[in-house]
Amino acid sequence: MKYAFWPGCVSRGAAPELYTATKAVAEHIGMELVELEAAACTGAGIISDGDPYLQDVLNARTLAMASKLGLPLIDICSTCIGVHSLAVEKLENEEYRARINERLAPEGLEYTGDTKPRHLLWALFEDLEDDRLRSLIKRPLAELKLGPFYGCYILRPERVLGFAEHPHRRRSLESAIELVGASVVTYDGMTKCCGFPILTTNKRNSLAMAGGHVGEAKDSGADALVTPCPLCHLNLDAQQYDAARVVHRKLDLPILHLPQLIGLAMGIEPDKLGLDGHVVNTKPLLHKAGVR
Amino acid sequence: MPKQDFVIERYDPVTERSYEQQFTAEYEPGQTVLDCLNGIKWAQDGTLSFRWSCRHAICGSCAMKVNGRSMLACKTQVTDIVKRGDPIRVAPMGNQKVVKDLVVDISNFLDAFERAETWLQEIPDQDPPSREYHTAKEEFDRWSHTATCIHCGACYSDCTVVAADPKFLGPAALAKAYRFVFDSRDSQKHERLEFLSEKHGIWDCTRCFMCIEACPKDVLPMDAIMELRTEAMREGITNNHGSRHSNAFRGGVRKRGRLDEATLPILSAGVRLGAIPELIGYTPGALRLLKSRKLIMAAKRHGANREGRRQIRRIFDEVEAEKARSAVDAEAFAAERSSALMAH
Repeated sequence: MKYAFWPGCVSRGAAPELYTATKAVAEHIGMELVELEAAACTGAGIISDGDPYLQDVLNARTLAMASKLGLPLIDICSTCIGVHSLAVEKLENEEYRARINERLAPEGLEYTGDTKPRHLLWALFEDLEDDRLRSLIKRPLAELKLGPFYGCYILRPERVLGFAEHPHRRRSLESAIELVGASVVTYDGMTKCCGFPILTTNKRNSLAMAGGHVGEAKDSGADALVTPCPLCHLNLDAQQYDAARVVHRKLDLPILHLPQLIGLAMGIEPDKLGLDGHVVNTKPLLHKAGVR
Repeated sequence: MPKQDFVIERYDPVTERSYEQQFTAEYEPGQTVLDCLNGIKWAQDGTLSFRWSCRHAICGSCAMKVNGRSMLACKTQVTDIVKRGDPIRVAPMGNQKVVKDLVVDISNFLDAFERAETWLQEIPDQDPPSREYHTAKEEFDRWSHTATCIHCGACYSDCTVVAADPKFLGPAALAKAYRFVFDSRDSQKHERLEFLSEKHGIWDCTRCFMCIEACPKDVLPMDAIMELRTEAMREGITNNHGSRHSNAFRGGVRKRGRLDEATLPILSAGVRLGAIPELIGYTPGALRLLKSRKLIMAAKRHGANREGRRQIRRIFDEVEAEKARSAVDAEAFAAERSSALMAH
């Protein structure tokens, strides 16, 4: 299991604990990650506000880099997988692809369409033998009730995310929670927007979304949320106290990154998963889970 | 005939009571949720209220939530959504006040069209052509899909921004505005883009794709909103948070190849007096981030490696030159539109 690894900007920035946890889990299960150090930000749908073509060139370049290495591209961010998948769809248009390849040629790269990007969440269930995956769970988190929080772009638009060939991707995060032996708490907001894309544009709306979802999950009995998206994590965790003020209630709900959850259940120690790097304290949760 | 359980969210405006009620309906393969609701109303409970008319996904009356998502009851076949004997859950549309059972007050949804003035505003002092107006095929292809909107409100019902801000214009009205912005017979393009760039307009969209998934007519509202953003920026309407954010984001990636989290909030707020309260508003959050080491990591400004940065800068320069020569951004949107319409 070897991948061209795109860490995304946020795991190398304000959510470094995601990078730490991903590396720890990958090593533990024998995933070799070849980091694409020359790759660019996906643009996150924000560069495309003013420069949609530029954003497509940047993503075609990243996909072409993976394909040059002969490796599948792996993402650890819902936004990255969404933007990469949309680029793959647009690049099926031959004229458009040819135009973009002219921009890649000076670097010796060519987008040929043979790379299908995947998220770590999908790779766990699709690339690992089921028995082996289950055998790695050494510390089941049976005491925990966990709510999934997907992030829009790992769910929508369905047509670009391979849901037709891989129907399990629709509930992949519930599967991850079940895998670690915890119970799944479902709630309305779990597939909705965390609000992060408009945090600087319309802070009140953005935090009303984040606070609303966290509050709803809490009311449904969740001990914590788990997300495959570091941007959601920024709004749900790093902004949680500001969000609490907008929705006029106490929240204090820890938010786990997907590989932190998997790592904990595989018996990796919390400090190797960056669990002390959150804004909302994760200690009471670890205590409840019986970890230290 | 197979039987199916339905759990219907009901509301009685006389007693102001909300409750769920379970019914069992018989259906034949090919029959729709609307057929079952009518079966229930006609044979079991005549007080059950819902809107419907054409039964052919044309009138836009019967949008409601089925298993949590907004759709037309008349376009949704029971066999397509039934799961392992679970009941089908039917609820009124979201983001609007319930009048009775599955009927909601759609006046806020309709007001948005009036606010956005989504009708043709002709070029003044111009004699009308002697015959009909002609529209070039390329122009028609750009917006004809948005003209198929039936005003059912499914997109508005699932919109994550309307949920937080009832004044947000919403996907349908914005898609209709797009249709006139790109209609060469309309005289108000620039004024429209200015209005749409204000608060509650295009820059408040979160790009959550809910409207694209909900729309029963493939209007692709969110894609229209995104193209309006690009067009507004192209027209120089950039004195707003959204454009500043996009430009600042782009600038960071140009320099380091990666998002620059440290300067983004400051540049998005803008170098102007009005930004000061906003920047102060970031302080408590920033202090918490400092404690968790997040701010330090962001300030380290991780970037692509040296060769990567060189190539990324080359691409930025080349694309800039290419944009001046040809309509590459319109091509990008056309590529997305054609694959989306083909897939749906």
